[in-house]
Amino acid sequence: MDRREFLKSGTAVPAAAALYGLPGLAMGAAPSEWRVFEVTAEVEVLQPAGVTRVWLPVPLTSDTDYQKGLGNSWRADGGDVAFSQETKYSLGIVGAEFPASAKTPRLALVSRFATRDRAVDLSARGRTAPEAPAVLKLNLQPTELLPTDGIVRDTAREITRGATSDVQKARAIYEWVVENTFRDPKVRGCGWGDIKTMLETRNFGGKCGDLNALFVGLARAAGVPARDVYGVRVAPSMLGYKSLGAGTEVISKAQHCRAEFYAQGIGWVPVDPADVRKVVLEEPPGKLALNHEKVVAARKRLFGSWEMNWLAYNYAHDVRFPGSTGPAVPYFMYPNGETKNGRLDQLDPGSFKYTLSARELKLA
Amino acid sequence: MMNRCAGAPRGALTHYVRHRVSWLLCGTLLCGLALVPFPGAAAELKTWSGGPAPAFDLAALDGRPYRLAGLRGSVVLINFWATWCAPCREEMPSIQRLTQRLAGRPFVALVINLDEPETRIRKFLSETSLDLTVLLDPGRQAAKAWNARILPASFVVGPDGVIRYSVVGEIDWNDEQVAKRISELLPARR
Repeated sequence: MDRREFLKSGTAVPAAAALYGLPGLAMGAAPSEWRVFEVTAEVEVLQPAGVTRVWLPVPLTSDTDYQKGLGNSWRADGGDVAFSQETKYSLGIVGAEFPASAKTPRLALVSRFATRDRAVDLSARGRTAPEAPAVLKLNLQPTELLPTDGIVRDTAREITRGATSDVQKARAIYEWVVENTFRDPKVRGCGWGDIKTMLETRNFGGKCGDLNALFVGLARAAGVPARDVYGVRVAPSMLGYKSLGAGTEVISKAQHCRAEFYAQGIGWVPVDPADVRKVVLEEPPGKLALNHEKVVAARKRLFGSWEMNWLAYNYAHDVRFPGSTGPAVPYFMYPNGETKNGRLDQLDPGSFKYTLSARELKLA
Repeated sequence: MMNRCAGAPRGALTHYVRHRVSWLLCGTLLCGLALVPFPGAAAELKTWSGGPAPAFDLAALDGRPYRLAGLRGSVVLINFWATWCAPCREEMPSIQRLTQRLAGRPFVALVINLDEPETRIRKFLSETSLDLTVLLDPGRQAAKAWNARILPASFVVGPDGVIRYSVVGEIDWNDEQVAKRISELLPARR
């Protein structure tokens, strides 16, 4: 991708917005109607050995103005099942432990949730209740893969030089991520977000777990509370973006993480620079220029709004699974499991194996 | 530190409930699970060590109001459920059987539906011939207060209004051991 093309991108925004017609996601627009979805995760460990454990994420355990949990139910085949949660990350884990005698450990989880599109009016101050100081503090802290010192801090300072408000700083970082990174289709899964290495090597290729982590880490280093939001796409985009939706009911590989930052006086603001780069790479016919109308429209829309054809699981980093002595995972967005031989490959639903499916419900 | 928590009313997030179930999964369906309970499924009540019982004031399907505080003196089984929850559906007949077993005793079973349309609930009840006191929880305020995020989630409240047991996931409420432990909470006959 030609970097110079990236820099031309700001000019066609009004035309693109009109072309693609984004009434439901215009800044300050009224929220869309609630939609209800059911997501089913079915796990079967094909090669159990010794004690087998499986963990599945549930939708955000705290309701938001864009997503409400409607309940979860599980089924397990011959295992002990427990629900664990960590409220500071709105993280809920359904974990199952199967004895060595279990021939075919199976766990199924059905989750229902309601969702509606999310858009924040960046000019409207004082309309939301202030966030708890502890939450803001948590979302300024470094994680294992998101340090906020050294090259991350230095880069953040450089990017945000001259910016004074939270929105200005976040905007500068967002534009920097969009312009300097690219979606690398060869990255497995969503990428693990090792942002220090990305900055040191100047290799800015990755997927949402990398690119949005870069936004979050830089924002935190710049003093702006920010967090990744891990989830999965559950439906096609209704905004005309083939690349930004789930094309089928099977969503086993549709995991996607987003990001948000906190602006004083405004509240949490959704962003998704990684999806801008996904539009660039994947939106038909593919490899679009940054000044392509669809890219321009997405770039504008994804600073301040999310189309909620997506389920948010949690905000968690460095997750340790209950009952496991294995290592923490950078985030929890995929089904996970382990046997006495170690962790199962969470990025390979076929050999694990697991199936995720989603359907929208018409509630009478 | 992860809180291992299930169905814990707010303020009691360190409470942890574990539940052993056995099921056979029959096939892989995209739009729902075809699951058949494995014979001999075991479950157990867990002694409650969490916080006090959150108050609720909910209307029943027939319009009658129910307040937890108004049920002092009775053992109350509170069961959060939804029609779409397969384990809930399969558990409910055992709640009815327990209710029948304890008929005439100060025992009340309240099954609190999570925010579903009344028409759907009535249809479910008519199809299953269940005769249970269904409370409506529009907005899931009660479910949130009781932290019932996994269904079914059940709590047994003693005559003194204190939660005594909880269980997350389905259980055979008419199991001899389960019924015995609940019966032990009942006030002595005079």
